[in-house]
Amino acid sequence: MAADAEGLRTRVLRNGWTRERVYAVVGVVLLVAPLVLPSFQTYVLTEVLVLALFATGFNLLYGYTGLLSFGHAMFYAGSGYVLANVVVRVVPALGLSGVFGSATPLVAYVVGAVLGVVFVTLLALPVGYLSVRLEEIYFAMITLSFSMAFYTLALKDVWGLTNGSDGLTVILGSAELLGFGISLADRVTFYYVVLAVVVPGMYALRRLVASPFGLVCEAVRENSGRAAAVGVDVRRQRWASFVLSAAFTGLAGVLIVPLHWVVAPGLAHWTTSAEPVIITVLGGSRAFLGPALGAVAFRYLRWIITQFPLLEVHWQLVFGVLVLAVLLFFERGVAGGVSAASSWLSELGERYRDDGTDGALAHVRSSLAGYRRRAFGRHPEEGSP
Amino acid sequence: MALPIQEILTGLSLGSRLFLIALGLSLIFGVLGVLNFAHGVLYMVGAYVTVSVAVGLGLNFWLAVVVGGVVVGIVGVVMEMGFIRRVYDRDPLDVLILTFAFVLIISDLTRTVWGNQSYTMNAPEVLQFTVTLPDGRFPAYRLFVILVGVVAMVALWFVLQRTYVGRLVRATSSDRDMAALLGVDVPRLYTMVFFVGSFLAGIGGALAAPLQAITPGTGDQVIIDAFVVVVIGGLGSFVGAFVGAMIIGLLRSLGVLVVSGADLFLPFLAMILVLVFRPQGLFGGGE
Repeated sequence: MAADAEGLRTRVLRNGWTRERVYAVVGVVLLVAPLVLPSFQTYVLTEVLVLALFATGFNLLYGYTGLLSFGHAMFYAGSGYVLANVVVRVVPALGLSGVFGSATPLVAYVVGAVLGVVFVTLLALPVGYLSVRLEEIYFAMITLSFSMAFYTLALKDVWGLTNGSDGLTVILGSAELLGFGISLADRVTFYYVVLAVVVPGMYALRRLVASPFGLVCEAVRENSGRAAAVGVDVRRQRWASFVLSAAFTGLAGVLIVPLHWVVAPGLAHWTTSAEPVIITVLGGSRAFLGPALGAVAFRYLRWIITQFPLLEVHWQLVFGVLVLAVLLFFERGVAGGVSAASSWLSELGERYRDDGTDGALAHVRSSLAGYRRRAFGRHPEEGSP
Repeated sequence: MALPIQEILTGLSLGSRLFLIALGLSLIFGVLGVLNFAHGVLYMVGAYVTVSVAVGLGLNFWLAVVVGGVVVGIVGVVMEMGFIRRVYDRDPLDVLILTFAFVLIISDLTRTVWGNQSYTMNAPEVLQFTVTLPDGRFPAYRLFVILVGVVAMVALWFVLQRTYVGRLVRATSSDRDMAALLGVDVPRLYTMVFFVGSFLAGIGGALAAPLQAITPGTGDQVIIDAFVVVVIGGLGSFVGAFVGAMIIGLLRSLGVLVVSGADLFLPFLAMILVLVFRPQGLFGGGE
């Protein structure tokens, strides 16, 4: 009977949609999309990819290790500032175009990106070391404070590296490599650059969370005391997770800056740190692809909002209400919603097969009642019998 | 060189305002276990409401301050009864994100009501004189703000340590379930504490209105400062909140005398030092 139900579920609902096939279709869509989409939509999709990497990197620390950082903008903007300095200042000053010839813009970008990620990784070492001394909300506060210190430094341009509130303009030029012209400022070309970084980045994160390291992270999240009792160095594990998470965030940072053509202190402000938080809440933190789905939802919701002037003025309100609703009614976000919907539908199918229409209707009624109870139920302290 | 008394007093008056908000933050955290991210925007709402009542409606300053505090207290009650109450048994990080949603919602609504321009107002006439100090003259209003901070500290200490309600609050804070079993109406107590904490934030904002321009960014700035204060002092400790607030206020006002721009980094530096040598905060773990 159980095997029968499983078979039914596979036949009716999966309909041959294995995981590999879903990935293959998504991959083809992502590869073909910029060729058919209008230029602006390509730009939006590029942002979705970057945000997906940003939020998934953030979620390594939040969803897997159980530490909520409210300061990841520091690493997002930090790598961007290094990239900007390399591209705008260091490469022209050193006269490297004499060495690399027409490939210079590409070389400058790659070097700047690598240095950017290295910089934020090094920055994350001391910041993480201090931050992981605290847990839970204390951790959120300390990371927020660190990132605001960084924001202040960038805004006041203390070392003459950030150009104050105006920020630095980063427009990648055209390079020629092995006879092929590559214009990095072109939206479609840059989309493929981003795709070529984000896909391996996401794959690396996927392998990371499935590795023994990732499992230990989850053990620390679930119960740090027990993890310590079986010999895990909890603080060190959190530190390592922090640094890795920052490195992936930095990787996202060197992708977003050339896309926006500018890096300004706003990118380091805590409102930017809040983005992966909102995205992860929307998408669901307990599924690996939750933040990626959240990024899709977040970015396209913003796009939809811009289509309505009234909503656009109040986008903060819209997202605030949305986050509130997700937290109160859909605990596991979009990813949780997808899996809940699929198991609900398969249950519906079984009931229909067993008892016909009546069974299916009873299922709908009972789940509606259960939902009402959960959503509007009384608080335990109010003494429900 | 003589003591820079003016700067010290300026720092103490800033510290006093920070204390009012950190006190509310600490009180709500200590009793409910909720870190209210929206505390900064509540402070801002207090300032806006006070300016509107005092300047817009032309009412008495003191009345406007009370109205500001009460309005913010009511906003806090709506937050607690309508939303936060539903998630007490969830992960504390969920609760933090929930209060963050209120930051977005409330700052959007305040921008809708008050726009993007900045507001200022005058100190009440009674206090529009200056006090002569060895190194110059000092506005009496700032001295008054310092006094309010001290009074709030003493009053809260008295209520918590010496009254029946205070005993209930302390009992609930140390063991919620046991207090409920002994007949304490915990949800009502929580709502009351949330009201008082929000009220304090509103009063802090109201008193700040004559001292600084109130803009849509005010809430963000204040909540960061308040976080630094409670990390230094130890979250949940009132003495810690007081000492932390005064340290930050003084670093802000004296820092500029040492190096230009130091006022912006010294608070963070102090926080990092505290974290390295005493991660639980100067007065954390006690109370």
